[in-house]
Amino acid sequence: MRYKVSLTLLLLASIGIVSAADQAPDFVGLGIIDEQPLRLSDYRGKVVFIDFWASWCPPCLVSLPAYEQMRAEIGTEDFEIIAINVDEDPANGVFFLEDHPVSYPVLKDPEGDIGIPYGVRSLPVSFLLDRDGNIIESYRSFKLGDEVELKAAIEALIRE
Amino acid sequence: MKRVLASIAILLSTLLLPAAGYAATCGCAGVPLLSAIDTSSTEPGDLYLNLTTENHIADDLVVGTKDIRDETDRKRSSLATTLSASYGLTEHWAVSGLLAYIEHSRDVGSSFLPAQHTSGLSDAVILFRYTPIYQTPFSRHELSVGFGARIPIGKDDAGGLISAAEDMQPSVGALGKILWSSYSYAFNQAATVQLGVSATYTDNDEENDRHYTFGDETSFSLGLSQSIGTKFSYAAAVRYRRTQPDRRLGFDIPNTGGEWLDFVPALQYSVTDKLNVALSGRLPIARDLNGAIQFTTSYSYSVSFTYAL
Repeated sequence: MRYKVSLTLLLLASIGIVSAADQAPDFVGLGIIDEQPLRLSDYRGKVVFIDFWASWCPPCLVSLPAYEQMRAEIGTEDFEIIAINVDEDPANGVFFLEDHPVSYPVLKDPEGDIGIPYGVRSLPVSFLLDRDGNIIESYRSFKLGDEVELKAAIEALIRE
Repeated sequence: MKRVLASIAILLSTLLLPAAGYAATCGCAGVPLLSAIDTSSTEPGDLYLNLTTENHIADDLVVGTKDIRDETDRKRSSLATTLSASYGLTEHWAVSGLLAYIEHSRDVGSSFLPAQHTSGLSDAVILFRYTPIYQTPFSRHELSVGFGARIPIGKDDAGGLISAAEDMQPSVGALGKILWSSYSYAFNQAATVQLGVSATYTDNDEENDRHYTFGDETSFSLGLSQSIGTKFSYAAAVRYRRTQPDRRLGFDIPNTGGEWLDFVPALQYSVTDKLNVALSGRLPIARDLNGAIQFTTSYSYSVSFTYAL
């Protein structure tokens, strides 16, 4: 009986985790600078890379410029990056973007309205979505050079 | 019934008190095994391996709360080497396991007896942890509760011609049931400064093959940790530990059990994003020990390496 209870608890605990092959939770967020709304599902038909970051996360400070470069190389016809800033005070994110501007949309998410459904526990964390909005891969942490493998994965998805 | 109430009180205290991840259940002669287990939050699929060596010096002679001069010039130490692993089973469940090898030595300088050395595999520890609330960029609180056991797989010389004293045995030699809990609070979103409390209760009801039963143990830790940059962090904690007297054949053993309050400092350096090295120590602040006289901890220090697979 005790084992059954434990197994049930384990199964319940497993529910709700966003992982590869899950449909990405849809969201509507506001741009961190222009406050314009953006809906994830509007990007159906494109490969999408969702990147959660914050100004206090050291690897994020390296990843944003690397992703900007990667996006320029891939192009935006079949691909887009959506960055989600989770700073409690979005002004800190804006301050960072003034020094390191990026061309892709950056949304603010100080309360976790977007991050919590994605199960964000630590930063940086990012998700690669196929054209149908399915999560193909999730990535935790970032170091320079990781974007090479990521770019290959994105290009392979675009070709499918 | 008293044990149940004590367990509930410990678990509740973690909700009320703001924790450093230091918990201890003694393997043998005051060498804490559980404290070598990494009890920090583990994400699903994460595997951490930890190798720790702790040198435990127990030369102090204490009467109640007072230190007295040891005329025998006795030297007592234990070196514990532990290998532990923690694995994130699901979003909320993790399991940790530990194996230990312990070397004890005792030398009474004023006697003609030779120094005594014993060594061998100690008890194993397994701990299942459930973390209903964990720290994220959107939550500054983390609460974990756990249960486990100290499993007697260690060396036992009960069948030998001469048995070593209990405090010189590498292994307790009996099953111990463990309840553990911890709570931590991050002072900022990046969680660079954290306050934490943890509590552990070890039920040592079973006697070993030598008909000896170690006393039940309760411990609390309250600590503060801070990260400096991306490489360094330090922590300082106070730990209260209380053990019941040991028993043999149902009778309390004199001069065993008591209360200890220790200061536990620690330093950690991230060698790479996967490898951490940490130094920590334990220094007595106060103690109140049972019986007429007891030898007890002078200090201990440890070095540990943690690798994330």
